[in-house]
Amino acid sequence: MVALLLALQLRTITIDQRLATDAHLRVGDTAVISATTGTDGDSVTIAAIVGRRADPSEIARSEYRVHLHLDQFQRLIGYGDRVDRFAVSTRGDAAADSAVRAINAAAFGFRAYRSHEIAVETSETFAVVSRFHRAIGVITIVASAVFLLCILLLKVDERRRDVAALRLLGISRRSVMLSVVLEAALVSVIGSGVGVGIGWVTSLAVNWHYQARYQTPLRFALVTGDIVLFAVSLSLVLGIVAGALAARRLVRTHPLVLLGR
Amino acid sequence: MRLLLALASLRRNRARTLLAVLGVAIAAAMLLDMVMLSTGMRESFRQLLLSRGFQMRLTPRGTLPFDTEASIAGATAITDGLRARPEIDLVSPVLGASVHVLRGDSSITTFAVGVDPSAQGDYQLASGRDATAPNSFVANDDFLRATNAKIGDTLRIAAGFDPQLRTHSGERALVLAGRARFLYLAAGQLAIAIPLRTLQEMTGAAREDRVSLFMVRLRDPGRIPDVKRWMRSALPAMDVISTADAMARVDERLSYFRQLSAILGAVSLIVGFLLVTTLVTVSVNERVGEIVVMRAIGVSRAHVVQQIVLEGTAMSVTGALLGTGLGLVTARYLNAILSRFPGLPAAIDFFLFQPRAAWTAIGLLTACGVLAGLYPAWRAASLPLARTLREEAVA
Amino acid sequence: MTVLVRARDVRRDYPLERDAVHALRGVSLEIVKGEYLAIVGPSGCGKSSLLNLLGAIDAPTSGTVEIEGRNVGTLGDREVTEFRLKHIGFVFQRFYLLPILTARENVELPMAEAGVPPAERRRRSAELLRYVDLGDRARHRPSQLSGGEQQRVAIARALANRPSLLLADEPTGELDARTGQEIISLFGRLNDDGTTVVVVTHDESLARAARRVVHMRDGEIVQDGVPHG
Repeated sequence: MVALLLALQLRTITIDQRLATDAHLRVGDTAVISATTGTDGDSVTIAAIVGRRADPSEIARSEYRVHLHLDQFQRLIGYGDRVDRFAVSTRGDAAADSAVRAINAAAFGFRAYRSHEIAVETSETFAVVSRFHRAIGVITIVASAVFLLCILLLKVDERRRDVAALRLLGISRRSVMLSVVLEAALVSVIGSGVGVGIGWVTSLAVNWHYQARYQTPLRFALVTGDIVLFAVSLSLVLGIVAGALAARRLVRTHPLVLLGR
Repeated sequence: MRLLLALASLRRNRARTLLAVLGVAIAAAMLLDMVMLSTGMRESFRQLLLSRGFQMRLTPRGTLPFDTEASIAGATAITDGLRARPEIDLVSPVLGASVHVLRGDSSITTFAVGVDPSAQGDYQLASGRDATAPNSFVANDDFLRATNAKIGDTLRIAAGFDPQLRTHSGERALVLAGRARFLYLAAGQLAIAIPLRTLQEMTGAAREDRVSLFMVRLRDPGRIPDVKRWMRSALPAMDVISTADAMARVDERLSYFRQLSAILGAVSLIVGFLLVTTLVTVSVNERVGEIVVMRAIGVSRAHVVQQIVLEGTAMSVTGALLGTGLGLVTARYLNAILSRFPGLPAAIDFFLFQPRAAWTAIGLLTACGVLAGLYPAWRAASLPLARTLREEAVA
Repeated sequence: MTVLVRARDVRRDYPLERDAVHALRGVSLEIVKGEYLAIVGPSGCGKSSLLNLLGAIDAPTSGTVEIEGRNVGTLGDREVTEFRLKHIGFVFQRFYLLPILTARENVELPMAEAGVPPAERRRRSAELLRYVDLGDRARHRPSQLSGGEQQRVAIARALANRPSLLLADEPTGELDARTGQEIISLFGRLNDDGTTVVVVTHDESLARAARRVVHMRDGEIVQDGVPHG
């Protein structure tokens, strides 16, 4: 009964999932919090356990998160009646601009920023990673282009006997070339379709792994329409180019030479 | 003769060979970069941590060096206690704080470390004198550029700023004694080093004799586990971080890059392997007749296999060598991107070149080339002679 | 007279999905050193199958083939390959020169495989190319040679390791009549110089040039004697 009364008087805090798991804390438990180790602190009740937001700036940060009532926190850390920042909600974008202007004109000792200005700064880590991914992406695209070109050249080259036979039957160069290019294009499109499928499955695995690893709802890999379109178009273009190059060489060679005579 | 045959075979389809070598080169470049990324980042961080020989750091419990504003009280007593241990060679107490260089109405904020110049491990003096006098300091090039200060100048530096009253506290006139290169700071970060006692007085940390961390150098690195055990029991309010512990934390934070490098490295290897296998298989299929005739006139199965494997290996080795050069160029480019990672010391190289990395990449790809040639070679050398000759004659 | 090749009751079956093709049905044949033998017969009569057995390219389903007193059917792959390299020379209908090598290099190939030192290889390949009247074409690749020239290079290659037996499968099959005649006279010259020659052919003039002709039909020898006309 005494414990219940005590609990009713205690202030509440929220803690994050990781802290709850690591310290075996549950909603309703009592804990002591202090600003420095070894000093007296406040007893508090855990009111809620919160999950992490989908915020890039929180990725790979392993420290625990605790939310306290402002006045209690100020007192605990000896901060007086001071805060680091205010979050201000406005009615629409235009209102945000005028509010920022008005605050900065009247402010004494602080400045107002748009949220996205802060976001740019805090998500710098992700911006760097994103630039890195883009660079790796370019290298991968060049590598796949060479690979694709090579495979398609081989594929068309394999048809030399068929091409020779068609030419000997009297089929025109143009028709032979068209059929070869069409085949290469078809192979490219089917291949890229399979590739998109593999990419989609891989993205599911990547998201599953990293969401669990960093305990975040963020999605790390996305297969978007643009990406699919880019992949299919690139392989189609490469297929047509490789097909045309190889086919041109084949139809310009005498059929008997193609047959090795 | 076998080498001549292998090279001649590769020359037969020049465009095809060239494309394959180019493909292998890109795969090799990627592989080298990924090997460099997976091992270099760690090694670079290790070298950085050990650059001044300090193998251990003591920080307020639950924090990393300068990660928070938490500090340790009673620094002098702890320093004396540590220095009394026979295993300990050197102790460097460090206080970190933001300070403001006052210039008329404006000020420039910079990071300051308070150190004992005779035992510090945070910077290397580049020119001028060290900050041995109580009213002196040394600064890095970024600071000198931002403030236009020269060695010998006296600057007014304050430790505290009240944004509401716009007043500074803990102000001192300090003389710029020298130019230094700070080891653990991010690129572009302004930094100065001030004698520890001076900074403590400026920030008000003197009252409780507070510091942010201790750096400790042992005479014998083999004693780290013993000293760590002793420190943990004698200084319970502190975290003892050895180089290995710091490496483990870095590993955890940057595990993403290790995983990425493992995946992309594996993909590069597979691509290189597939490319060489496909090419050698097609090339072998095209000259089944030749191969069977070679066998018929008495060329042994082993020699046919050797010759075909040589083709794959020649392509892989050429591609891998080209790829090594290409990989070094791309690594520099990728390193430039990642060096802008916020909060990481500028001295860390994500892509640190180590000869072992190059040998690993070349070795792996060569092994791939050999393996890639083995299957088509074995298949070709095992063709039934009489039947294949008959089929070839019909074709 | 020394017997060089002795085939005894040789059978060769090629298994199909349900049935089997009986390419040779109990063939017995002796070839003595220095002989010039032509094997003739309609397509599918088993000529090439017999030649493959005589050249240790294939092994009989039953019966034995002895060359220089060795039962080649019992040799392992490594031994039989080495046996072919040192004792048997092959000439194929479609020449099968390696297009990436020059005429000289093609002739040198079996010698290199046999471990002949490079200087000796070079000397002997030049000698062989002169023997087949191609001394001035040593540096040419097969694509730069006519059909007849290619076949002569192939013959020089077959002679590289001084084989005791030269086997030729339709050596004039891909050549016009005039070039074919050149090859026929080359075989005659080779035999005069002491080489044992066995040719499988449809070409009547080539068969006539041989000292002995074996006629085959349905996997059996139906006639064995001197050529007519």
